[in-house]
Amino acid sequence: MPPLMGIEFLCRVADVLADYLGGLNEDQIKDNFVIVYELLDEMIDNGFPLTTEPNILREMIAAPNIVSKMLSVVTGNSSNVNETLPAATALCVPWRTSDPKYANNEVYVDLVEEMDAIINRDGTLVKCEIYGEVQVNSHLSGLPDLTLSFANPSILDDVRFHPCVRYRPWESHQILSFVPPDGQFRLMSYRVKKLKSIPLYLKPQLTSDAGTCRLSLLVGMRNDPGKTIDSIDVQFQLPPCISNADLSSNCGTVNILSNKTCSWIIGRIPKDKAPSLSGTLVLESGLQRLHVFPTFQLRFRIMGIALSGLQIDKLDLKNLPHRPYKGFRALTRAGHYEVRA
Amino acid sequence: MAPPAQSQRSPSPSQPSGKGEVSDLKSQLRQLAGSRAPGVDDSKRDLFKKVISYMTVGIDVSSVFGEMVMCSATSDIVLKKMCYLYVGNYAKVNPDLALLTINFLQRDCKDEDPMIRGLALRSLCSLRVANLVEYLVGPLGSSLKDSNSYVRMVAVIGVLKLYHISAATCIDADFPAMLKHLLLNDPDTQVIANCLATLQEIWTLEASISEEASREREALISKPIIYYFLNRMKEFSEWAQSLVLELVAKYVPSDSNEIFDIMNLLEDRLQHANGAVVLATIKLFLQLTLSMTDVHQQVYERIKAPLLTLVSSGSPEQSFAVLSHLHLLVMRAPILFSSDYKHFYCQYNEPFYVKKLKLEMLTAVANESNTYEIVTELCEYAANVDIPMARESIRAVGKIALQQYDVNAIVDRLLQFLEMEKDYVTAETLVLVKDLLRKYPQWSQDCIAVVGNISSNNVQEPKAKAALIWMLGEYSQDMHDAPYILESLIENWEDEHSSEVRLHLLTAVMKCFFKRPPETQKALGDALAAGLADFHQDVHDRALLYYRLLQYNVTVAERVVNPPKQAVSVFADTQSSEIKDRIFDEFNSLSVVYQKPSYMFTDKEHRGPFEFSDELGNLSIGVDAADTVVPAQQVDANDKDLLLSTSEKEDGRALSSNGTAYSAPLYDAPASVPASQIQSDLVNLTSGLPGHMPAASLAIDDLLGLGLSVTAAPAPAPSPPSLSLNPKAVLDPGTFQQKWRQLPISLTQEFSVSPQGIAALISPQALLRHMQGDSVHCIASGGQSPNFKFFFFAQKAEESSNFLVECIINTSTAKAHVKIKADDQSMSQTFSTLFQSALSKFGVQ
Repeated sequence: MPPLMGIEFLCRVADVLADYLGGLNEDQIKDNFVIVYELLDEMIDNGFPLTTEPNILREMIAAPNIVSKMLSVVTGNSSNVNETLPAATALCVPWRTSDPKYANNEVYVDLVEEMDAIINRDGTLVKCEIYGEVQVNSHLSGLPDLTLSFANPSILDDVRFHPCVRYRPWESHQILSFVPPDGQFRLMSYRVKKLKSIPLYLKPQLTSDAGTCRLSLLVGMRNDPGKTIDSIDVQFQLPPCISNADLSSNCGTVNILSNKTCSWIIGRIPKDKAPSLSGTLVLESGLQRLHVFPTFQLRFRIMGIALSGLQIDKLDLKNLPHRPYKGFRALTRAGHYEVRA
Repeated sequence: MAPPAQSQRSPSPSQPSGKGEVSDLKSQLRQLAGSRAPGVDDSKRDLFKKVISYMTVGIDVSSVFGEMVMCSATSDIVLKKMCYLYVGNYAKVNPDLALLTINFLQRDCKDEDPMIRGLALRSLCSLRVANLVEYLVGPLGSSLKDSNSYVRMVAVIGVLKLYHISAATCIDADFPAMLKHLLLNDPDTQVIANCLATLQEIWTLEASISEEASREREALISKPIIYYFLNRMKEFSEWAQSLVLELVAKYVPSDSNEIFDIMNLLEDRLQHANGAVVLATIKLFLQLTLSMTDVHQQVYERIKAPLLTLVSSGSPEQSFAVLSHLHLLVMRAPILFSSDYKHFYCQYNEPFYVKKLKLEMLTAVANESNTYEIVTELCEYAANVDIPMARESIRAVGKIALQQYDVNAIVDRLLQFLEMEKDYVTAETLVLVKDLLRKYPQWSQDCIAVVGNISSNNVQEPKAKAALIWMLGEYSQDMHDAPYILESLIENWEDEHSSEVRLHLLTAVMKCFFKRPPETQKALGDALAAGLADFHQDVHDRALLYYRLLQYNVTVAERVVNPPKQAVSVFADTQSSEIKDRIFDEFNSLSVVYQKPSYMFTDKEHRGPFEFSDELGNLSIGVDAADTVVPAQQVDANDKDLLLSTSEKEDGRALSSNGTAYSAPLYDAPASVPASQIQSDLVNLTSGLPGHMPAASLAIDDLLGLGLSVTAAPAPAPSPPSLSLNPKAVLDPGTFQQKWRQLPISLTQEFSVSPQGIAALISPQALLRHMQGDSVHCIASGGQSPNFKFFFFAQKAEESSNFLVECIINTSTAKAHVKIKADDQSMSQTFSTLFQSALSKFGVQ
């Protein structure tokens, strides 16, 4: 069996369950085991994956939400299965519910990017790459036809599409033309490599002498992205040879967990001072100098900007009775963003 | 779907003990069974839920079976589903009770709601009780013709379930033929996909006993069916797409235009969001272009980006599966990936299994231009907190050094590692320095200076200690205090637990003795004494050997123990290129993830469909190594390209696609040796002997007059055309395999082998030589007494029409089971007779 088929399928099952149960943990599965059985029954038969499209599943098996619970109490009809079979299986757009109707037609397009970077101790960028997704949340009536274009599609290195995206328009004009599924979905994922600028820097300094080691970290903004950077925190693993650590910072909080993981939560960078952390590490007896160095993992979030520079040009909608509302957002966060000491 | 109820876990104290609860449930269910009051469904639902939850935690609730069945008369679909689940779980262990359910399931199969029809049928097929299959055939047959695609979809899988319960019933009801009809005509793609999966499984299992099934199986990869699938590709669900792509990968297009058409059609599949589809497409592209070196490289370039994207998205497990495939490709063509080395840099958070693969890839892609960066990166890992990772990185650095790039700088780095004073770093580095010195003795001065400073007390790991001791012995003349270090080590002989270290110690002290006798004499004496008293047999024997050698003659001892050494040029590779090729053939399967070909981790009966290539690969190529005389003409087309190991196959395939002269370049892999050529040379040598009159020149009439013991001789064709075979027939294994897959079986026969023949059949080789005399060549053979298996081929004398034969000889029953496939079907009967006569003469002459 192709290994990815198995793994992808399991991931899909997890996604669908999480979607149905509003989270995925042992208790939720226990509480809703009937639904879980029903879902698995439709998703796989005798080892072959069958229906995994959330929209179609939703038509066959209703989710255990408040509304349906209320309804069942009021009407006394407690079946959470629709009486009719979904029609979409026979349609040419299997990912779309047959005919949804919304009073407010709206569609939201989010650019969500994750930045992976490795920065050496002298501040040079070893590797920097962005993995991004175009997430769409669509609540549109009927069978709308959408066209999304970017201002600068040439920066994308490699792209992957949701099955709803038509390939030819992309090939010829780099336009995404598609009939969207209903609700939240991932329209496209992409990769942008060879980026030159990073939004944050972290300067570690480690000097060790005679059994102790002085550590100081300095975090600051570099190449100001123009939007506020928030949720900044730094995590690192103290080397196992350290017996004691005393760290303090001029802003944010520092925690050292029992497994020698140290986390420094900064939040936002204050205007008046640069956040810094300093302290001493005591080495195990017998060691003079530190020979292994921690790697600092930085996390942050920047709302309102896609750091790859990707910009949405416009979104056209056809086949719609009313003018819909269109919303765009962008967000960049740190993926594997690490600084070596 | 249902949890295993058989495994009765002992209920923990907090759980209900079951007994009382179950009887309680039983009476409640009984009350509800007949009731038609409003709201009864709700109370039933609660009870059912309880039953199912008991079942799930492992409490045996089979005693309420009857009540559950009674309660199942309901219109509520959730209730039905729960009931089906319950029934499906307990039917197998209670076949008698299962009979009770048949009635209501059959009734539900005729329900007007297609969903209930489908669900009931699914449950009915999932009962898996052998004596109930008779009740299955009817509903299955009508459901296959149902107007609703959901029901058909379920029914198709139902056929497969039926097949596994009772294959005979399934075949007798002619279900495969109905599925085939659906496969080609159903409007719903999910039905088609299920048909494909089912038929593949059934026909593969049937193929070993039924010719028709194997013909059908091969018909699946015929041009019309493949095109039918390709044209509808986009309509299939993502899972079905991967299934279809797997099938298409087995299809052999007739010319390059067709290949390009298929690739153009499917190129957008590389951009699919589902990784399974992407990998299946990649496999297809790689398979299609094997014979076209240039295009094959372009494919590598094209698939690089999608693979790298797949690696960076999704869970670590997904990345790992993709990375394993990338790893395989990188190992095949490192140069193509040398500019992408940064993608293989490890992130701190990644799991170790991902990092390890990445390190291997970094090692493979290292070349003159990027070694500096890669080694710098690896040194970063070596200094990191993660200890296993640090070890692996140091090993990787060493491997790169052994690849001969930038050795100078790397040796410096390694020596820096030694100065880091970390036990594990020192240990790993010592082992590497030893290997390096074996390959580059010219670096000994630099290394020895540093190694000499290491205190042997800081080295504890056996491998590292052994390496250090080896260096002490080998370079004792340059290391000032080598004898004294050795002496102190020998003093602690008793504390040394590793026999490997003790063995090295003995040898090292011997070497040291030859170079600096006065200083070492005492240590040597101690070592020999300790060695002789050692409880470990090897150590004892080696000490004894040295002792006697020294007694006999010291100069001879030196020649034996410390001869001048040559630098090692290449360290042995762990996996043969043959195995690597086999893994490549099984691209997009677990073989790649395990880095083993499938036959190493699967049982024979569990091999997937189309496993012919496995069979052939398991058999040894039918030529003794000693016979391997290579005709000079074969080595002419030795164009050096990047993909050495790939091209060896490509050329083989090129032959079949355009029929050019045979020109496979010859590498060390035995599989590539054209067995047929060598054998035909042997034929030339032996054909002069009286006993080996080539049958090729005999007319068929003569053969028929020989009076053979034919057990099943079908009436021969009215006037069989005479057949003469080409004694110098040529066919390479690749083409054979391809043809074997494509051609239908034209004849299956069984005949007996003479007792003399059985006696002569000690090894497969004996028969091979004999058959060559009759211009029937062997391409692969294998097996052990009593079962031998051979693949033969023969060619017509005038034209290039081939006969392919699979022959299984069982020496205990003295029967030969023969399957013949032929380009020219009309001649297969004639050929069979000829083959049989040749076989019957075996051992007689």
